[in-house]
Amino acid sequence: MSLDNILNNWSDYRKAAEDGGFYDSEGNHPYEHRWTMSINLDLCNGCNACSTACYAENNLAFVGKERFEKGHAMNWMRIERYWDDQEKDYPEKGASFLPMMCQQCGSATCEPVCPVAATYHTPDGLNAQVYNRCIGSRYCSNNCPYRVRYFNFYSYYDDAWPEPMQQQLNPDISVRDKGVMEKCTFCVQRIRSAKEKAKMEDRAVRDGEAMPACAQSCPTSAIVFGDTLDENSAISKLWKKHQVKRNVAHQDKENPEMRGYRIFEELNVDPSVMYLERVREDV
Amino acid sequence: MAVNKQIPAHNRRGRKGLAWVLGLAVCLVVIAPAAMAAKYDVVAPGGSHDGEDVEQPIEFPHNIHVKDNDINCMYCHTYARRSKVAGIPPTSKCMGCHKMVATDKPRIKKLTEYWENKESPPWKKVTDLPDFVHFTHEVHLKTLLFDREFPVENAKEICALCHGEVENMTVAKKVKPLNMGWCVNCHIENQELGAPGDCWKCHK
Repeated sequence: MSLDNILNNWSDYRKAAEDGGFYDSEGNHPYEHRWTMSINLDLCNGCNACSTACYAENNLAFVGKERFEKGHAMNWMRIERYWDDQEKDYPEKGASFLPMMCQQCGSATCEPVCPVAATYHTPDGLNAQVYNRCIGSRYCSNNCPYRVRYFNFYSYYDDAWPEPMQQQLNPDISVRDKGVMEKCTFCVQRIRSAKEKAKMEDRAVRDGEAMPACAQSCPTSAIVFGDTLDENSAISKLWKKHQVKRNVAHQDKENPEMRGYRIFEELNVDPSVMYLERVREDV
Repeated sequence: MAVNKQIPAHNRRGRKGLAWVLGLAVCLVVIAPAAMAAKYDVVAPGGSHDGEDVEQPIEFPHNIHVKDNDINCMYCHTYARRSKVAGIPPTSKCMGCHKMVATDKPRIKKLTEYWENKESPPWKKVTDLPDFVHFTHEVHLKTLLFDREFPVENAKEICALCHGEVENMTVAKKVKPLNMGWCVNCHIENQELGAPGDCWKCHK
């Protein structure tokens, strides 16, 4: 029945995917939430706490050294390092860090290429990945400009969590098996429980109620997360302050001094993560 | 926002008239008249399933508790309205009554034995969903029971939508398919009640 539904309404699925959004029958974007993130690179010291928290929260498998070298690691949240010119003097000499995770693009390049609609846009503005539907074609990964989709090349269950370590697995998210693509979900299980709690209490989700593991664990609070449809949320104010707009390929700022920018926005993918540039003394 | 989504005041009986009449004719159970008393109509999910008989440590007679003694499902499965799972009651809840009631029956003697040994009977799970499914009892009960102002004393009719008529069973048995197509059909039929159609609402 549900397969019939997909096949009969295939053009609707494709329309939503190709137009980069979630549409109702009138062609509007009825977003319920618009979860977005902001990462202040000036505060990020590359400690990897976010990455570690992500491993713990999302049942990420430890692939081991050999497989890591082959590039099979599945670190949904990774810290990228960019090394400075060796001739520079301290304290400017060293690495710059860039936490990189799925940017939950508004018009994601991964969505239209999935042959089975396993990745799609949710009414929350997230790129969902339905593991049960994924057949592992890896088109999405190859089409992602950020390289943040990870493929399970191996069934890691026995190796990654030997007895009794499987007891640390988070029951709110499934353990993925071989042949399935996976990626950062903005901790959808936490968003889901926050929304359900709000629903039980007949109110809207409060700012800060849904918080991904990376934002929660960041020791310098470099990561801010929230709903930009909520005008009063901290994240809305931050986007407004840094004059970063959505749905544009080029930011036309009134004050170019503001540090906010989005990675690869010129590709017109409309990423949901805003980075705040690091302040350098010699600039 | 889903939270603020108003349940439409008009009911669906107009469009679903034929289905409703057919439904009445087919299932002349208590569901139909009681559902009419509620604020909004719910289209009951169709389909049945012949589940395996589960051998429980004590052959718990649901029929005596629910049908004969008219005990509400949520008296024992108290977590249904508070959490994801309906839960098995602690043995202390059984003993709350059975210290006095029917103490001479063999099943109660077995229960008392567990109680005195400070053990809980190893109840087996009857309706189990796969690990990749997120299902929550509390939100379903809120939508189908409390928000509809459905009489709480008839809660068993709401439970019966997914669990079948447990009041006629002794040991509970899985009698509904509880698979994805079955869940999705009910969510499509009851969209006006706010049933979400998003994959990530259930898939995790």
